[in-house]
Amino acid sequence: MKINVNTEIALTYLLARKKQTIIASLGVMFGISMFIFMQSLMKGTNDYFEKMSFNTTPHIRLYSENKVADNHMMTSYIKDSSIKILTNPKQLIQTQGIINPYGLIKEILKNPQVYAVTPQVTADVIYTSGSVQINGNVAGVNIIEEDRMFDIQSEMITGDFRDLNRVNNSILIGKGIADKLSLHTGDNITVTSGTGSPMIMRIIGVYATTIKQIDETKSYVNITQAQNLLGKDRSYVTDIKVNVKDYNGAPAIARELETLTGYKAEDWIQANEQLKAAFKIRAVILNSVIGVILLVAGFGIYNILNMTIYEKIKEIAILKAEGFSGTAVTSIFLQQAIYIGLLGGVVGIIVGYFITLMVSKIYIGAGNLKYLPMSFYGPHYVEAICFGLLTTIAAGFFPARKASRVDPVTIIRG
Amino acid sequence: MADLALQAKNITKYFHDPVTMPVLKSISLDVAKGEFVSIVGKSGCGKSTLLYVLSTMDTDYEGEIDINGTMATGKTLNELARIRNTSIGFVFQFHYLLPDFSCLKNVMIPALRLGKYSYKEVEARAYDKLKMFGVEEQALKSANKLSGGQQQRVAIARALINDPAIIMGDEPTGNLDSKNTGIVFDLFQKLSKEFGQTIITVTHDEDFAQRSDRIIEMADGEIKSHGR
Repeated sequence: MKINVNTEIALTYLLARKKQTIIASLGVMFGISMFIFMQSLMKGTNDYFEKMSFNTTPHIRLYSENKVADNHMMTSYIKDSSIKILTNPKQLIQTQGIINPYGLIKEILKNPQVYAVTPQVTADVIYTSGSVQINGNVAGVNIIEEDRMFDIQSEMITGDFRDLNRVNNSILIGKGIADKLSLHTGDNITVTSGTGSPMIMRIIGVYATTIKQIDETKSYVNITQAQNLLGKDRSYVTDIKVNVKDYNGAPAIARELETLTGYKAEDWIQANEQLKAAFKIRAVILNSVIGVILLVAGFGIYNILNMTIYEKIKEIAILKAEGFSGTAVTSIFLQQAIYIGLLGGVVGIIVGYFITLMVSKIYIGAGNLKYLPMSFYGPHYVEAICFGLLTTIAAGFFPARKASRVDPVTIIRG
Repeated sequence: MADLALQAKNITKYFHDPVTMPVLKSISLDVAKGEFVSIVGKSGCGKSTLLYVLSTMDTDYEGEIDINGTMATGKTLNELARIRNTSIGFVFQFHYLLPDFSCLKNVMIPALRLGKYSYKEVEARAYDKLKMFGVEEQALKSANKLSGGQQQRVAIARALINDPAIIMGDEPTGNLDSKNTGIVFDLFQKLSKEFGQTIITVTHDEDFAQRSDRIIEMADGEIKSHGR
């Protein structure tokens, strides 16, 4: 094997100072393994929370928003061409929900990105049992579709959610409601909406999500029953929920659907802004920690190379006298930095992998989270090596340049 | 012209610290191929300064230097490094061997830098040189395990590895006892006589100077005598 003489000198210097080399590499190793560990933890956590949010939120929700009264509405109502000036316009309640929902669903399904669409009727209600009343809301859904989109099955505590389609006047309630009203599967509950008359429903099951607020307010009924509860006809739908194949593309598709239908389309990112904010904050914390570790590692390398250069200044001068150019000297010292970086980087990703593996076995057992969510994501490891090398090259550059500028005459003549 | 190993014209150099003052005053100098030249003079007369200017390491001067038919003045630092690598071998007062390398490696490094021969060939050549100076037994020892005389001989072997046109010595025997001085001097003479090697040394040693082909005497930044 033909080794360049610069490489040979660089390697000899590194091997002549094994301790220093190992300590410098350890610095890089810690940086890299922490990078991998923290990235894995963050991605794992983010993925977990994203997945969690899809248990309750569709990728895109279509609903009719109340609008502020404007001149167009007045013109179309009065049907003349006079100029109208509206002062202090107010919100208009959209009582009709979504017009022609089933036609719209057909249209939405034509989009190749979409894989599930389901209509929903949402109603604010009061649950009553005995003399106790609590506020909440009822989602009138096709429970089979709902299960396909949100995996209701995994949240069931008692009962069978399919009974919503089989049993007349049936309701599936959250665990919080059941606890507060002291109700069980098979009991009756009175549900009153703002517009319809009170209805007595039979509880066919109890579910629990990890979000307490949902368990204490939300219940599911059959869609036609929700329409009955509100005193509306069969075409009354308040929301259309859409799931797409790639949820990261949801915002773009939401904009498309907004133009297509004219209704407000809210994607999951808008619906979970606190989630995105948390992601961002976590990213900042993580990046600053990694940045500091790599910075420290970088200073370690910088120091060690600087010391080496002070120690070897005579030798550098002699190499230059022998005909090593400045470029060759730079190469000798930069190579040392790179080898330290490579050594630390390779050991670092192995250690990082094992740390990640070990931590992923730590039992948490909070909610439905059993183990720490860790992700084993290939690009993290590539990024880690790149960052490690970048740091070492940056740290090695200045000492190497200093070495290349050594003036042999001043050093040799003393 | 063709038989000149080194030609310097009107070399003038100033020191700027603490005040600007001339150290070399318009020095012109020719050294023929195969000549063994000693430069002598009192401390501070500028002889070492002249040698470093001639060596191309010091570029802060006025005038022109031609080494082995190549104009060295005005070249970039990297080009000068190349000239030193191919045409000049150095022997200093101290051996300046690299302590992390074996003696053999020390001798090999300039040749590996040159890249003219394969690694095996360089190794063989370096070994031959060490043998020529009677230090082949020490070839694989670390440089700092040798005696002063042995170290200086390895350093001369290193200077010779690329078959340079000129060997420059800055008091090559200044740090040696009389026995080793004798050995080193004999080596220089052998190189000059038997191999036609051009040698320029700066020395304080009267004996050493007297036995060389030519003595250039310097005083106050000027050449007093060219010795011919």
